[in-house]
Amino acid sequence: NALTGTPGDCRPCPCPDRTSCSAIVQTGEVVCTNCPAGRTGVRCQKCEDGYHGDPLGQSGPARPCTRCDCHGNVDANAVGTCDHLTGRCLKCLGHTEGDRCERCKQGFYGDALNHTMHQKCKSCSCSASGTSGPVTQCHPRTGHCHCLPHVTGRDCGRCEVGFFHLQPGLGCRRCDCSPVGSSS
Amino acid sequence: PPVSPFPRPDVHPLPSGTHLLFSQNGRIEHIPLEGYDMKPDQAKTVLHLPGKLIVGVAYDCVEKMVYWTEISPSSINKANLQGGETIPVIESGVTSPEGIAVDHLGRTIFWTDSITDQIEVASMDGSQRRVIINSDLVNPRAIIADPPNGNLYWADWDRDAPKIETSYMDGTNRRVLVKDNLSLPNGLTYEPQSSLLCWADAGTKILECMNPGRGDRRKMTEGIQYPFGMTAYGKNVYYTDWDRLALVAVDTHVGRETSEFLPLKRTKIYGIATAYAQCLAGQNYCAVN
Repeated sequence: NALTGTPGDCRPCPCPDRTSCSAIVQTGEVVCTNCPAGRTGVRCQKCEDGYHGDPLGQSGPARPCTRCDCHGNVDANAVGTCDHLTGRCLKCLGHTEGDRCERCKQGFYGDALNHTMHQKCKSCSCSASGTSGPVTQCHPRTGHCHCLPHVTGRDCGRCEVGFFHLQPGLGCRRCDCSPVGSSS
Repeated sequence: PPVSPFPRPDVHPLPSGTHLLFSQNGRIEHIPLEGYDMKPDQAKTVLHLPGKLIVGVAYDCVEKMVYWTEISPSSINKANLQGGETIPVIESGVTSPEGIAVDHLGRTIFWTDSITDQIEVASMDGSQRRVIINSDLVNPRAIIADPPNGNLYWADWDRDAPKIETSYMDGTNRRVLVKDNLSLPNGLTYEPQSSLLCWADAGTKILECMNPGRGDRRKMTEGIQYPFGMTAYGKNVYYTDWDRLALVAVDTHVGRETSEFLPLKRTKIYGIATAYAQCLAGQNYCAVN
């Protein structure tokens, strides 16, 4: 405030790259008005939407604003897709989850990091009759469901060789073939 | 803490006349319109909330207030454009509020939320809040009110099934207006005098209009870049562009871009609203009830 009439009335703006600021008369608070590209906030301490970092090092070592990495599992048309400080992804798509949308949600399996696949995470869809647990639980990568005894297949949908008659809650029964009359 | 109140040296009350209000991060800027022309040399900041991310902007011509949605953290707020503090409207139960619309006759606000996938309504102070649409929404964004006719319009940029829909202002009589040849309809606006509903699509890169009653869809401009927000004033529509970092004016009579405005601040522009000098005449049943 140059009107006070003392030396040092005008002080440099506490803003990066010698950008401008203004002082609020009532409170004396100084606010940066032209933060460098990609930054925002009272002291340009915050990264813009889609970027994360801590350019002033307010919560640890200074980190410049960098684009959030969500493994291609957020939509470029969405807003607020990641936390400006930690970079944690907030709007994972395609049944992915995790701080970087790096894994498939429970009930889904596949490779959340595979950029070439159309559908990275597929539904477990375990067979209701051949599964020992919930039909929405499977191995997050392979998709193998928890099968009842002598039941096989990724989705526990069929009996092992030598077994037949898949019954819910029980599994499959051993074939009872006469060794004499059977061809295999 | 939000930086208010103003006046502050870097913010200015809204002068008389018609303006466009638009948001860039934590700023709401204004640019005056002279006729349909934007006056770049008179563009100024009307509100500065450092560190905020303002997404949707709407204007109440009665009280000359600006309403906005902000995310991370999420809330809905308003402020008087002649100078005044930020007034919280909705502080809880919003996760990603995006589009916002004002019914200046019924004295209500409407907003979309892209995480709860709902459309809600509340009084202008945030009371009497109610969900009016809670099904078949995936990425709802723009929402527009047409108070004299009692209609709402909104766009959902669902990558699998984008659509533009309408309903009465209580959510009843919901209908899909447009679903074919849509991709990312981010911008949507309605001009009451011409009854023209226009949208700007960031996927098809086309700006189109139709009369919702007639369904006569017309391409205005093709090959646009990355539209986000949109508003109408008379024969013109104005949209914000994420790639050009610009406001773009399109004349709907001749169907082409007429001018652009590049704000000094080179960063994404989100919401946009027309701040009319006066309310357009009209009333609806909510206003008399």
